[in-house]
Amino acid sequence: MHERLSFHIKRDSVLHRLNPLTKLVLTLALIFLAFTFPWYWMPHLLILIAVIPLSLLGKVFREFWLTALKLILPAAGFLFLMQAFFQPIGTDVIFKFYFLDITSESLMFAFKNAMRVFVMVSAFTLFLLTTHPSELMSDLTRRGLPGQFAYVIISTLQIIPQMQAKAQTIISAQRSRGLDTESTFFKRAGSVLPLVGPLVFGSLVEVEERAIAIEARGFTSKHAKTSLHEIPDSDFDKILRWILFALIVFSIGLNLWLS
Amino acid sequence: MAFVNLQNLAYKYPLTKTNALENINLQVREGEFVAVIGPNGAGKSTLCYALAGFVPHFFKGEISGEIEVDGRKSGESTLDEWVLNVGLAFQNPFNQISGAKYTVFEEIAFGLENIGVPRDEMKTRVEEAMSLTGISDLADRSPYSLSGGQQQRVALTSILVMRPRLLVLDEPTSQMDPIGTREVFGVVRRMAEEGMTVVMVEHKMEWIAHFADRVIALKEGQIFLEGTPGDVLTSDVLIENGFGISRYTSVAREAKKQGLWKKEKLPVTLDEAVEGFK
Ligand SMILES: Nc1ncnc2c1ncn2[C@@H]1O[C@H](COP(=O)(O)OP(=O)(O)OP(=O)(O)O)[C@@H](O)[C@H]1O
Ligand SMILES: [Mg+2]
Repeated sequence: MHERLSFHIKRDSVLHRLNPLTKLVLTLALIFLAFTFPWYWMPHLLILIAVIPLSLLGKVFREFWLTALKLILPAAGFLFLMQAFFQPIGTDVIFKFYFLDITSESLMFAFKNAMRVFVMVSAFTLFLLTTHPSELMSDLTRRGLPGQFAYVIISTLQIIPQMQAKAQTIISAQRSRGLDTESTFFKRAGSVLPLVGPLVFGSLVEVEERAIAIEARGFTSKHAKTSLHEIPDSDFDKILRWILFALIVFSIGLNLWLS
Repeated sequence: MAFVNLQNLAYKYPLTKTNALENINLQVREGEFVAVIGPNGAGKSTLCYALAGFVPHFFKGEISGEIEVDGRKSGESTLDEWVLNVGLAFQNPFNQISGAKYTVFEEIAFGLENIGVPRDEMKTRVEEAMSLTGISDLADRSPYSLSGGQQQRVALTSILVMRPRLLVLDEPTSQMDPIGTREVFGVVRRMAEEGMTVVMVEHKMEWIAHFADRVIALKEGQIFLEGTPGDVLTSDVLIENGFGISRYTSVAREAKKQGLWKKEKLPVTLDEAVEGFK
């Protein structure tokens, strides 16, 4: 079944050894720089000086670019086309397609936005590839994020594929009893209703049992929690976080000041 | 003074008309292994929830009587304190997976993280518990990728690792093959020898006869019969009231009608049957 439910790839690398929060701040810094820094070539530069080196540093170059090709490029490409065609700016028409004009300005604009999205999704992908989800959660809980909140996030991440698998089982079961799931949209929408019951009510019973199970394992215990994995947090992490934070503030500040 | 002491316990789930448990009086001494049998809806799971504190701390409803474990009353305690003393593993192993962990090792450590066990001790305890239940080789697997029987072992290990004084198991072998079932009974017996008190709901009569000290038969929320496995599992009242019996018991029972079984007592296990037919 689902042998791997997370993106995380276990490797020993500089990036893996960073504190999860540091990586989260790094991710946010890349995104904020790409979107707010008032210089046209910033997203492109970030790909060159941050995204590519980080994928090497994290020893996930191959996995990263495979994900990138499958996930990010189509999205960024689509965005690029949409904006190139529908952005009504500029006068320097370089291409005409019926009533749609592509100007060099709209092309530049679209290119930049596609690159911004590329940076954003890459940053998140790198983060997920090199960060163990339970480590992130333990670290955030240790810093004061409520345990229940962390649990909800992380168990949702795990449970989505199972809900999908279960929905599939129910659909197969209903189909074998003659449920129509393949004709027109409206007919299908009507016939999918009987699936909702088992999925939702089944889940409610499961939620109750799961609540009992984690409670039985001391989930609401008032003891200070410990964590199985040692979560690194060096001075370097702390300094890096402050630098990245300063960069974010600087970029936003510059953007506001210039506009 | 008994380690577990239930006095006139009665309980009714919210929005239901009849009591799920009624007039339960039960004493279990420390280190005793008690098996609970009974037909569907008899109240076995409810009894487990009552021992483990979920009735009345999780399931509301009407409760009367006393639940006492190790001299402490459930009603005067809170659930998060109660579970430190009483461990519960229940029927459906899938829903016992925390959903917050990616490997079996982490899954088993989950409870220890919650109660603040230091990292080094945590690792040793998880490893010990896994080798006890024979799942060391599953350590790096995803809990969701396991078979039902393997998941049940993980669920059992996740509770054992917390070292409760009272271990409550609700059909912990329902998805296991005969070998797995035997092993689990063996582990549970061993825990009892080491002083853990065990209450275990089970249907597999032969293994109960082999390993348990005492059997409680529940019916319609009440204790219907109780005594040693040899007495309870072969009693006529049990059979007449729709409880299942071991196949060796039923064979010997037929044989007795035809005069082929000479002994006074009916067998529950293969060994006893072989012995009696000699
Ligand atoms: N959450 C609940 N809410 C209301 N009634 C319940 C609830 N759980 C169980 N009951 C009822 O309480 C009675 C005892 O149920 P219980 O689950 O304890 O039986 P059981 O002996 O464990 O049965 P099984 O062999 O099927 O596991 C049943 O009549 C059942 O319908
Ligand atoms: Mg039950």
